Amino acid sequence: MSLKSERRGIHVDQSELLCKKGCGYYGNPAWQGFCSKCWREEYHRARQKQIQEDWELAERLQREEEEAFASSQSSQGAPSLTFSKFEEKKTNEKTRKVTTVKKFFSASSRVGSKKEIQEAKAPSPSINRQTSIETDRVSKEFIEFLKTFHKTGQEIYKQTKVFLEGMHYKRDLSIEEQSECTQDFYQNVAERMQTRGKVPPERVEKIMDQIEKYIMTRLYKHVFCPETTDDEKKDLAIQKRIRALHWVTPQMLCVPVNEEIPEVSDMVVKAITDIIEMDSKRVPRDKLACITRCSKHIFNAIKVTKREPASADDFLPTLIYIVLKGNPPRLQSNIQYITRFCNPSRLMTGEDGYYFTNLCCAVAFIEKLDAQSLNLSQEDFDRYMSGQTSPRKQEPEGWSPDACLGVKQMYKNLDLLSQLNERQERIMNEAKKLEKDLIDWTDGIAKEVQDIVEKYPLEIKPQSQPLAAIDSENVENDKLPPPLQPQVYAG
Amino acid sequence: MAQTDGLTPPREAPGQPRVSKLVLLGSGSVGKSSLVLRYVKDDFKSVLPTVGCAFFTKVVDLGASSLKLEIWDTAGQEKYHSVCHLYFRGANAALLVYDITRKDSFHKAQQWLADLEKELHPGEGVVMLVGNKTDLGEQREVTFQEGKEFAESNKLLFMETSAKLNLQVSEVFSTVAQELLQREARQSHSAQGEAAVVLNASPAPQAKCCAR
Repeated sequence: MSLKSERRGIHVDQSELLCKKGCGYYGNPAWQGFCSKCWREEYHRARQKQIQEDWELAERLQREEEEAFASSQSSQGAPSLTFSKFEEKKTNEKTRKVTTVKKFFSASSRVGSKKEIQEAKAPSPSINRQTSIETDRVSKEFIEFLKTFHKTGQEIYKQTKVFLEGMHYKRDLSIEEQSECTQDFYQNVAERMQTRGKVPPERVEKIMDQIEKYIMTRLYKHVFCPETTDDEKKDLAIQKRIRALHWVTPQMLCVPVNEEIPEVSDMVVKAITDIIEMDSKRVPRDKLACITRCSKHIFNAIKVTKREPASADDFLPTLIYIVLKGNPPRLQSNIQYITRFCNPSRLMTGEDGYYFTNLCCAVAFIEKLDAQSLNLSQEDFDRYMSGQTSPRKQEPEGWSPDACLGVKQMYKNLDLLSQLNERQERIMNEAKKLEKDLIDWTDGIAKEVQDIVEKYPLEIKPQSQPLAAIDSENVENDKLPPPLQPQVYAG
Repeated sequence: MAQTDGLTPPREAPGQPRVSKLVLLGSGSVGKSSLVLRYVKDDFKSVLPTVGCAFFTKVVDLGASSLKLEIWDTAGQEKYHSVCHLYFRGANAALLVYDITRKDSFHKAQQWLADLEKELHPGEGVVMLVGNKTDLGEQREVTFQEGKEFAESNKLLFMETSAKLNLQVSEVFSTVAQELLQREARQSHSAQGEAAVVLNASPAPQAKCCAR
C-alpha cells in the first residue's frame, strides 16, 4: 500500500486509479486505493476483526485473573465464610471492570469514527440534559414566576440562559473566576432591571432571589466543593477538629444557656437541627435561612435562660457551642459556597449576613481555639485533646450535668425506679407485717376463746328433775284423787 | 464574595434610604449593647427585635435625607478578638466603645482601631471613639482630654456618653449618620473618593458631656 502511494506521484496509470477490488469504480488513496463502497466494507471487516480480538484478549485476561484468584484461594486453605464473601465481592468488581471494557468496545463498533467516540465521551454540551427532579421543578417555578413580568421576564430568562450556557464553558476555570462571573451576572441583571426595565427595587430583590435560586440549583453540582479546591480537605480538617473537641463543656465557653430547662434544651436541639440542615440546601439563600433559623433558636434559648434578650457577647459563644455539638457536615464547603455564590448584598448587610458572619467567626474561633480561650491550663488542654482524660470523669457527681439528654433522662428514670423499688419493698414488708398481724390476731382470738372455753367449760348437766311444764302431761296426775265428778242430786 | 468593594452596598434604589453598616466594637461590659439598646428603644418608631439584641436596623432621619443604619453588635470578650475582623468586612462605620472607668478598655479600643485599619482603607468608613459610662464620673480613669487627643491624632470622631442616663446616645448615632451622608456627597462630587478625606473630630457635639 505504501509502495503504491509512493509510486502515485511518479506514474499514474488508469488501473492505479481504479478501485483495488476491481469493482470498476475509481479508488481513492485516502481510502487506501479502494472506492468508497469497497472501503467501507473493508474497513468494517477490519474493525470487526479488531473488536473480536480485543474481546478475546479481555476475556482471556479475565480468565487468567480468575484462575490466579482461584489458585491463591486454594493455597490459603478452607476460606471462612466472610472471606469467601469478600472474594465474591472482588470478583464482582473484576467483572464490572471487564464489562466496562466491553461497553467501550461495543460503543466503538456502533459509532463510526474516532472523533464521534470522543464526542460521546465528552459531557453533554446541553445543560438541559442533566436534569433532576429538583432542577425541573425549580425551572418550572422560575418560568412561571417570570411570566408575571411579561417582557422583562422574557429578557431575564434569556439572560440567565445565556449566562448558564456561558458558565458551562467556564467549568475549567478556577472556582474564584466562576464566582466572579456569577457575581458580575447578579450585578448586571439587577442593574439592567433597574435602568432598562424600570422595575421597582422591592421587585428587583424578589426577582434576584428567584434568579439566584434558579441558577444556583443548576450550577450547584459543579461549583459546590469543586475538586479543584481544597474545600473537602478543609471540611475534613474542621470535622476532625470538632470531634477532638468533644469534651468542651458549656461552662468552659461561658455559654449562658441552661440545658436543664426542658424548653431550653429543646431549642438547643432545634438550633443544631437547623445548622445541620444547611448542608441539604442547594441555594445559598436557603442555606443562609437555615443559619438564621438556628440563630433565632439560640437567641430564644439564651432569653429563656437569662430572662433578658441576648447580646452579641452571649450569642457568639452559644453559636460556637452549637457548632461544636452539631458538627455540621461539610461546614467549610458550605461557607465557601455561600461566600462565592450568594448575592453579595445579602452577606455584607442584612440579618442573614450578620448571622452568617457570626458563623464564620465561630468556625474561625474553633480552628484557633486553645487552652487560654477555654480558661484551661495548657496541660489540661493537651490531655483532653489527646483523649487521655475527659473533664467529665473528674466530676464527683454520678453523672455530669452536660451529658447527653437521653443519658440524663435515663439516670433520672433509674433514680425514680430505685425509689419506686424501695417503696415497693416497704409496701411488701408492711403487707407481710399486716398479714402476720392478722394471723396473730386470729390466733390470739382463737386462743383467748379457747382459754375462756377451758376456764368455763360448758357443763351440760343431766336433766335430774325436770320441771313439769304446766301444759306437760301431768305425770303426778295419777297420784292425785280423781277430779270431782259433778253429781246431780234429785231434789 | 468576589472582592466587591466593601464601602458601597450594592444596588441602591433611589427612593429607598441608603443602608449603612455600623459595627460596634469594644471589650466586654463596656456597654456596647446597652448603648445601642438605649438608642433603639427610646425611639418609638423603631421596632425592637423580638429575639436577641445583637442586630438592629434603624432609619436615621436627618432632615433632608435619611439613612438606614444596620447596627452589628460584636462579642467583646478578649478571646474572640482574633476572629472579630470578620465583622468589619463591608462596614461603613464603626463605634469604638470604651468604659471611662476602665483604662484597659481604652487601650483595648486602640487595639481595635489597629485591627480595623487593617480591614478598612484609611479614609474609608467613619470611625467614632465613644467613652461610655459618664454617669460614673467619680471613678473615671480615662480623662476626656485623653480620649479626645487619641481621637484627634487618629482622625476619629469622639464623644462621651452615658447609656444609663441616656446622655448623648442618639447624638452618637446621628453624628455618624451625618458624617456618612456628608462623605457620600463629597465622594459623588469628586469623581473618585479620595483617601485624603480628613475627618476632624467635630467639636460641637462634645461640648455637653465634658461638664464633669
